Amino acid sequence: MDFLKSITIAASGLRAQAGRMRVISENIANVDSTAPRAGADPYRRKIPSFRTEMDRTLGAQTVALGRIRTDRSDFRTKYEPGHPSADGNGYVKYPNVNSLVEMMDMKEAQRSYESNLNVISATRRMIQRTLEILRA
Amino acid sequence: MPISGIPIFSMLRTKMQWHQERQRLLAENVSNSDTPNFRPRDLAPLKIDGPTPGSVAAGIAGAPSASAPVVLARTDPAHLAGSQTSARFHTGRRGVFEIRPAGNAVMLEDEMLKVAANQMDYQAATSLYGRSLGLIKTAIRR
Repeated sequence: MDFLKSITIAASGLRAQAGRMRVISENIANVDSTAPRAGADPYRRKIPSFRTEMDRTLGAQTVALGRIRTDRSDFRTKYEPGHPSADGNGYVKYPNVNSLVEMMDMKEAQRSYESNLNVISATRRMIQRTLEILRA
Repeated sequence: MPISGIPIFSMLRTKMQWHQERQRLLAENVSNSDTPNFRPRDLAPLKIDGPTPGSVAAGIAGAPSASAPVVLARTDPAHLAGSQTSARFHTGRRGVFEIRPAGNAVMLEDEMLKVAANQMDYQAATSLYGRSLGLIKTAIRR
């Protein structure tokens, strides 16, 4: 049945957005994770990516979470000479996570997730209408 | 005479198939709303002189009709049948309104509106189908 395809496609969207949420929560949780040793690199921000997949059994384009890459931008530095992971000049490297950016990404993921849910409930109502023909 | 041979039912069936196919494409658009370089697709609207008119002959099994979908020929019974639905309706790439820097052109609001409209039209078609069945029931009632 074709409606089940629609639901499966939307479910692939839900899965991808949930994976993105996981990466975002990792970033937010590690916003202050400094390096374990002096001079080492702290947590690096992760960036999720999406890719379109051709599902041959469905004959439709679903979405999947692609490779999770790391952000190559510079780390934030703070002058804290007493910090255990401070370098020779007294600077501590903090992760290159910007919580405002992460919040915006989270809102976007939430919005996409809701849209996919919306498609599923609309499709469900359409299936329900089809079944109601039997009762007429 | 099969019930799908009655013109109103075959017409409604075509319409319902069209909405089903459109729902699939809209689900594709929404689920790929964050994929880079993805362009949304939509179905071409049904036309009276389109490839699938609600003709009486279309519903009769075995009767060759002009509205039969184009499918891949199977030269061996072990071959899998290709997907048939996509060949039946033309899926057109519509003109996009805006493209985000990542190359994605899906507007969620637009897609939501289309999902809702699709659902409403489908509901209208199923209601008509049910009413027509009721008419037949009235006719055969003694």
